[in-house]
Parts: sequence; C-alpha cells; structure tokens
Amino acid sequence: MYDFVVVGSGSSGGTVAHNLHEAGAKIVLLEAGKFFRKDTFPKTEMDYSAQLFWGGGLEFDSQARTAFLRAKCVGGTTIVNQCLMDRFDDVAFDDWKQRSGVDFLSVAKMLPFYEKIEAKMKLHTFEKEETKRNAQLFTAACDKLGHKWKYLRRGMSDCKVEEGNDCIGCLGGCFRDSKQSSLVYSVQVAEQKGLEIRAEFEVEKIEHFADHVLIHGFQNKIKQEIKTKKVVIAAGSFGTTQLMLKSGFKAKLPALGKGFCQHPQFMLFGVFDIPVDAHKANFQTVGSDDPNFRKQGFKLENVFAQPISVGMLFRTYGKQHQDIMKKYRYMSCIEVAVRDQPEGGEISIDKKGKLIVTKTLTEQDKRRRDTGLATIKNIFSAQGAKEVVDSPFYFGLHLMGGCSIGVDEQKSVVNPQFQVHGHKNIYIADTSIYPSAPGINPSLTAATLSQKMSEELIKS
Amino acid sequence: MAPENGELPSYSVCGCIEHVDDVAGYAPENDIKDLGMLLSILSFMPDFVLQWFVKAMNDSHQKNGGLSDLFRMLDFGIKGIILGTYYSGKTGKNYNGKSPLELIGFSINRIES
Repeated sequence: MYDFVVVGSGSSGGTVAHNLHEAGAKIVLLEAGKFFRKDTFPKTEMDYSAQLFWGGGLEFDSQARTAFLRAKCVGGTTIVNQCLMDRFDDVAFDDWKQRSGVDFLSVAKMLPFYEKIEAKMKLHTFEKEETKRNAQLFTAACDKLGHKWKYLRRGMSDCKVEEGNDCIGCLGGCFRDSKQSSLVYSVQVAEQKGLEIRAEFEVEKIEHFADHVLIHGFQNKIKQEIKTKKVVIAAGSFGTTQLMLKSGFKAKLPALGKGFCQHPQFMLFGVFDIPVDAHKANFQTVGSDDPNFRKQGFKLENVFAQPISVGMLFRTYGKQHQDIMKKYRYMSCIEVAVRDQPEGGEISIDKKGKLIVTKTLTEQDKRRRDTGLATIKNIFSAQGAKEVVDSPFYFGLHLMGGCSIGVDEQKSVVNPQFQVHGHKNIYIADTSIYPSAPGINPSLTAATLSQKMSEELIKS
Repeated sequence: MAPENGELPSYSVCGCIEHVDDVAGYAPENDIKDLGMLLSILSFMPDFVLQWFVKAMNDSHQKNGGLSDLFRMLDFGIKGIILGTYYSGKTGKNYNGKSPLELIGFSINRIES
C-alpha cells in the first residue's frame, strides 16, 4: 500500500509529489496525459494544440461561449502557460478569507511558503532591453494615457532569446527546459531521485475508507486499482471536481462544483502600417499594473498567439478572414482578463460522467469586460493603430473553483487542513479550492498552497 | 471557408486536408463521429444551404438559446479543423507552392538545448 497517491502533475501535484517523495514517503504520481520531454514536445501549433490539450484542443462551456485551455500531459497546464509568477495581494487574500473563514489566507501568513516555492524555481523579471515592438507600443501608450504598467516576472532561465530563440514556441512545451513548468522544477527533479510516475493513467473513481483510499482507473485502457493510505487530488479545477462528482461525493458536499471562475480573457488586435512581429523573441514582457484597473476588476496583458489560435478568434470566414490573417505580422494584441464572480460558474457531470461547465457572465463581469475593452481601444488609438479587430470568443486558461476551501461544510468542500470535509484521507490543494477569482495569475499560489499542505502532511 | 485569395492558395489546392487526422485524431471519438456525419450530409447540400449554414454559425454569436449554442459549437469545431490544417505549415503531396503559414510571414526560430 502506498502512503500517498497524487493525482495530477501540474503546479500543485508536482509540488506535493516532489515534497512527499523527498520526505521519504512511498508515493506514486498519476497523470492522465502523456509524458512529453523537451525533445519530444510536438513542434507545430497544430500538433501541440491537438496533442497537449483535453478534448484535442476544443473544450467549451455548455453554451459554447468560451473555450477552455486545459493541458493534458505531465506538468499539466504549466506546460502550455507563460509561467508568469505573481504573488497574490491583500485584495485577493482578504476576499478569500472573508468568503472562507480560513485564517492563514493572508499575505503575511503565506509569505514563508511563497519564499520556499520561489526558491525552487528560476525567476526572471524582464528589463527594458528585452522588450520588442509589441511591448514598446503598449508601454508608450500607457505612459501617454497615465496607466501604470510593469515588467513581468516569469519562471525562465537561459532562454537564448539573444541568440534568436522565439519564446512563443514554448506555448507548446519548452523545447529547452528553460520555462519553469512543474515538469522542470518539481516532477523531473523528483523523478531523478526515484519518484514513481505513471503517465496516461486516468482515474475514474475514488473510494474513501476509514484507514485507506481505493483508486480506480485505467492506464493505457487497462483497468487498474491502487490502494493508498491517503490521496492528494491535484487534477485542476475541472479534473478534481469531475473526479469528486464521479465518485459520488455531491450528496455529502453540497458546495461541490460551485463557484467556478476563470478570469475570462477577451483579446483585441490592433493593426499597424509596419510589422510588429509580436510572435518573435520574448513574447510577453509587460502588463498593466494600475491600481485603478485593480479596483475596477480587470487587468490588461500584452499577449499574442500563433496563427491558428489568432485565426480562431476572428468572426469572419473566407476571403475576409484571409485578408485579416495576411496582416498577422502587423498585429499587436492586448487582452483584458476579468476578475469574474464565482456565482456565475458551476461544474457538473452528465449521466455518463462527462464534464458540463456552466459559465454565465454576471452583470458585474460584463461591466468589467466593457471597461477593459474600452481602455484597450483607447490604448490602440494612442498607439496609432490603423484598425482594431475584435473577437466574439473569449477563453479561460485560469480555471479555478469547484472544491472551495472553507470552514463551513455547507459552503465549501475542503477544510483549512486541505482535507475534504468528513473524509480525512482525501486532500485537495490545486486551483479547485480557490474560493473566488483573485485577478492575478493563479499558478504560483497553487504551488504555494501545495507547499503548505505538503509540509503539514509531512509533519503529521 | 478558405478560397484562393491573391497569393494564398485555396484549401483544396494546398492539400492540407491530407493532414486532417493530425487534428481530429486527438478529439473525443463521439465529437468527431458527429462532426463527420454532419459534414457528410452538408457535402450533398446545394450552395444556398451551405451559405445559410455558414451565416447561421456566424450569427450565432449574437444570439442566445435555441440552436445558437449548437451553431457556436459547430463554428468552433469546423473552424478548428479548417484553420488548424490550413495554417499548420503542412501541405499536400501534389502541392509545390509555399504554405499559407509561410505566405502570411510566420516563422519562429527554435534554439534547442
């Protein structure tokens, strides 16, 4: 029997597995996706979109308004995100504390855990010399309009941009282990020390007993059963919530599946007379840092994407669509990420256990979106953009909630010790426990909460 | 969805359909089965039905409820397959020109370790 089974290998699962293994526990890390390495990640956007994401890259809410980007591979979504590493502020933690009643959710009490997790990864804050035209247009316009902005802090090291490397490629997995995904800073480190990892293992159901947990699943379509003293579920907001629902916990946990939020992201493209080449070199170096935006519930990101993703966002077809795509090199992009209300989102399953995500933008969410989009249009105007192209779609990369942490069993799923209420052998510490949207990139804090949880597990 | 347009070749001429399994092969089996059935039916339909269908997909973003959810989902799915292959950088065996990806000026350098 294992001491621990960890389900999921992203920022949370990777951290827990690494820490528990290092402490000497008998542990296995299960991951539904494949085990890609820096030299085996798919090379093209088409291939990585199909192979690295759940649903072959196409996963939507029940109304098909929003597309979700959720990775299915060892390292989880940290493989396909930008690894922007921001700590949460008082605004985020105060809201969490108020909603959950959990005392340790504060900047001061989380600080030692942030410091420990940050010490495990290589962090870099960009400087002026590393920015390209896309970022320079953004910062010049922000300065002109009086909006505060900042250089971003990213988990990265030795990216060889100065030698011509284009970092947008690492959105399909970093091919030099420079980006600080959980694969790089936790999973592979623990693997070298002997951590057992079972990829392509889909957990179907868990059963809780007084002194152990049974894990039922399939590995490469072969039925498997694993017995463990404790299980840590870290399959992300969708994966963890779906597993809990499929395992029949909804009857005892009324809050299960509630409070889904995602920082819905709306992208606008400005078209210029001379090439911007936003896909070259460091591709995301600056973002908004304006206290007024924070108060108004949104932030702006100076992002971009490869052609298939950009093409998917435009509403047109045929020649009109191609005419926009011909301007790919001349485009700059800014997105607004809304700090959305958890009341508008719910995760459930159908009779076959298939995921159903309901996400309705509340009136407040819409106001925040519209204020953000109007701000972006002003920025493009100040930049001298010749044309602004919008999109009917929005997407979610920061998937949060469904198994909220809290002291009240009626309103939450996980207690302040990260145990599922009434089930002492089941733990959760990934983004599914977030009581609300922080309005800040969630990955670093997911790893930090998992650092805290794993230290408590080791002590006990 | 992707006709000939200046230097850009049409979808059928560049032969990227030969790589459709690279996209569809990883999507859920039932979704692909349903989409395949729909596309088979559409292939027998006259042009005016196809034009209505494309318009319905495009208009669905301004509507709520009814069939609009289904048309939005189809818009995602069909666009995903067509744009996914058209801008993949891959072309058919009998096509000798530049790919649409090259023609829009996209290229990235990879310095592998």
